[in-house]
Amino acid sequence: MNEGLRRLVGEAWAFRTRVEQDAALRFTRLAASISSFDPGSPVIALMGRAAEDERRHAGLCAELAAAYGEPAAEGGPLPDIVPAELGPRAGVLYEVVAACCITETESVATLTTLLAGPSETRVREILHEIARDEVVHGRMGWAHLAREGGQTDVSFLGRWIPTMLDGTVDEGLFSAPGAEHDSEELLRHGVLPQAQKRSIFISTLEGVVFPGLEQFGVDPSAGRAWLAARRDVATAPA
Amino acid sequence: MLVRKLFQMLVLGGAVIGTASGCSTRADAQTKAGARDGGAAADAGSASSGGGVKGW
Repeated sequence: MNEGLRRLVGEAWAFRTRVEQDAALRFTRLAASISSFDPGSPVIALMGRAAEDERRHAGLCAELAAAYGEPAAEGGPLPDIVPAELGPRAGVLYEVVAACCITETESVATLTTLLAGPSETRVREILHEIARDEVVHGRMGWAHLAREGGQTDVSFLGRWIPTMLDGTVDEGLFSAPGAEHDSEELLRHGVLPQAQKRSIFISTLEGVVFPGLEQFGVDPSAGRAWLAARRDVATAPA
Repeated sequence: MLVRKLFQMLVLGGAVIGTASGCSTRADAQTKAGARDGGAAADAGSASSGGGVKGW
């Protein structure tokens, strides 16, 4: 592996370390918030366990980041992603949908794709361990949305889906990557080449996230328009 | 094929978990109203205009 690729892989695992650290903080907070208005929800216990999972995942990701020469830094404070105009319960729903229904669902798709191909032994062990837990983390978001959708009008979320998606993707996902970002060799080290990452992201939005939102009463039209605009840019001739 | 499986596993699986354990009580009516209007309830002081969560 050349130095450029090694650095890319190390940066990806260091970034994932911070993602997992943030998720641990977020799930701890969300579990407490949900218990304040829906103490009978099964999602509370799932979130509590998920926070522990994420702390363990952060350690695993940090191990690989260090192995590829990019030690992960400690995460900072958790950014506030909930729009100020939302009330507390709506804000919790917003954050759960952004973190679980979108991000964790996309993570499961990424992990499943990575596990379908060959990878280095330790990378594969870690991918397996994380994938097993991430399925539960994605599911608990849909569980919360289903539960809230059964009791209240969740349609207000529709207009916020583009904002959530803006905050989920990296700037470069829909632009032309450098050659190293699209190297097939990345797969062996647990990183998707950019074109594949974009393809998985889009197909998961279209086949899982948008239909899932629709199923529980959230109109995904604004999200679909967001995606169409970016896909047009990505496929436009240079 | 992957997305169909993910939809069943995550979305439909989540729906089963979320709706299997009973709903929250009527005592939550006030906070539910906050959820419905998307902002009437007092907030915890967020100054955010909204965002998303980065993942893998």
